[in-house]
Amino acid sequence: MSAALNDGLPERIKDALRLVIDPELGYNIVDLGLVYDVSVDDSGEARVIMTTTTRGCPATGYLKDGARDSVEATAGVTSVDVVLTYDPPWTPRMMSADAKRHLGIAEGEGW
Amino acid sequence: MNASDRALSDAVASERNATLPGVSLSRWTMSYFAAGLMSFALAQGLMVAGYGYPHAPVEAPETLALVHLIALGWLSLLLCGALFQFVPVLVAKPLHDNAMPLPTLVCLLIGLLALLLGFLQLGGQISLSLPFFPVAATLLVLGFTLVLWNLGRTLWAARPLPLPARFVVTGLFGIAGTVFLGAIFALVLGGATSHPHLIELTARGVPIHAIAGLGGWLTLTAMGVSYRLLAMFMLAPELDRLSSRLAFHLGSGALAVAFVGGVVAICFEWRLDFPLLTAALLGLGALALYGKDMLFLYRARKRRTLELNSRMAAFALLSLVLAAALVVVTIARGDLSTHAPAIVYLVAFGWLSGLGLAKLYKIVAFLTWLECYGPVLGKMPTPRVQDLVVEPRAVKWFGLYFLAVWAGTAALLFDYPGVFRAATALSLIATVAIAMQLFRTRRLRDVEHATAVAAGARRPRLLWSLSRQA
Repeated sequence: MSAALNDGLPERIKDALRLVIDPELGYNIVDLGLVYDVSVDDSGEARVIMTTTTRGCPATGYLKDGARDSVEATAGVTSVDVVLTYDPPWTPRMMSADAKRHLGIAEGEGW
Repeated sequence: MNASDRALSDAVASERNATLPGVSLSRWTMSYFAAGLMSFALAQGLMVAGYGYPHAPVEAPETLALVHLIALGWLSLLLCGALFQFVPVLVAKPLHDNAMPLPTLVCLLIGLLALLLGFLQLGGQISLSLPFFPVAATLLVLGFTLVLWNLGRTLWAARPLPLPARFVVTGLFGIAGTVFLGAIFALVLGGATSHPHLIELTARGVPIHAIAGLGGWLTLTAMGVSYRLLAMFMLAPELDRLSSRLAFHLGSGALAVAFVGGVVAICFEWRLDFPLLTAALLGLGALALYGKDMLFLYRARKRRTLELNSRMAAFALLSLVLAAALVVVTIARGDLSTHAPAIVYLVAFGWLSGLGLAKLYKIVAFLTWLECYGPVLGKMPTPRVQDLVVEPRAVKWFGLYFLAVWAGTAALLFDYPGVFRAATALSLIATVAIAMQLFRTRRLRDVEHATAVAAGARRPRLLWSLSRQA
């Protein structure tokens, strides 16, 4: 893969991941802070490390599959590995300012 | 590599080595909910028609049939259906057996039907000479044994348990005790045994049976589940602090004292006052601490705008506070037994049914969303769970429900049976209207047409879920 194509790919992957919403909070998983890391190597192999708002959530499998499907559809990605983690556990502090505004949470609030 | 990178690398490694928690949809939970709602509507219809208390004595077979239609047919089926879905969420482990809830439901429903027929037989309303009570005892014991086995194995595999799950364990002990006594009563009433101790237990053990069922099984389990669900739905911190742990210990102690102390008192022909009063004090202590925790959760929530389910759960909690206050006042006045039916009605309809209806409104939408839109997540834009419901349309029915229940409680307290029937007619109308909202949610009637039928999104079945393993 050319360096030009790979440029900005992590950002394009994050944009693709914004198609995936947390059904309960009704906002995309990137701005909710559920995506901890996106990396991609020179061959276009992507790795997404993500979490869910609560451990044991029945939506976990769907969120993980949804993240994989949205990244796979991104131009320049040859394969994707989605890894789920609860370390560190998610807190509302991890949300973007937009997500906090959407949910009516004051900036800096969290536990 | 910094600490954050190391943590992420560890995550990658740990997921390779372990199954991370994701739980599947409980296939038969919707069937439990539907059967429960039908029982609830039927029970209220009978009450409007003047069947059972206050138009018949508390101990009359008609009243007992009505009480069991509500406690078993509505509340227990609702709770079992919810537990099959949410115990795995509480402990982040899959349900031990996802196929077992169907035969369990069949046993419970046929057992309930036999029990109701047994009461009709006892009251002389049917003249069939079939052994309804022994059949009911056998099937209900079998059904609840399957519940205990399935949930017990799930919980056992998840030790050490978080606090909400420990409440559920105590609740399961509560249903075991309730069913144990109920089976003895059924065998005695059905003439299958004439052992003097069992006859004595049947004559005096009804308060213990009721406390273990309403207090131990239904209330303690609802308390445990609400600690987790309210925190989840309101974005509040999950509680495991001193007051929560003390509430658990006092609640468990209350159940143990009422059940063990009560049964021992009956066996030795002692008075029941001491164990029941001690259990009441322990139980009130547990409720006070639980109320304090719930207040904290509502205040500490991050979602400033509450969804309908959380707002209505607050009315259910208020009903529990009112019921506890009535217990204190009537004990002080010495007329608890006179007003016990009104208090039991407020607990069953205001607290347990109110909380159940409020949470159903959320759970049905959430499970329907998962089933319909979960598989297409990441492939197409999806609606939010909240887009499956129309809260402004539902709120008036919830308001009517709680007002009707509080009016019904006042009517029982001040002995106005006609007003009680009118209030029950209103609560029945509200229940049916709320059930219609749930039906609309399940059928995606309130979702924009284009989104609802988009390619790949599957329309859910009304009574069961197409399960997936996460």
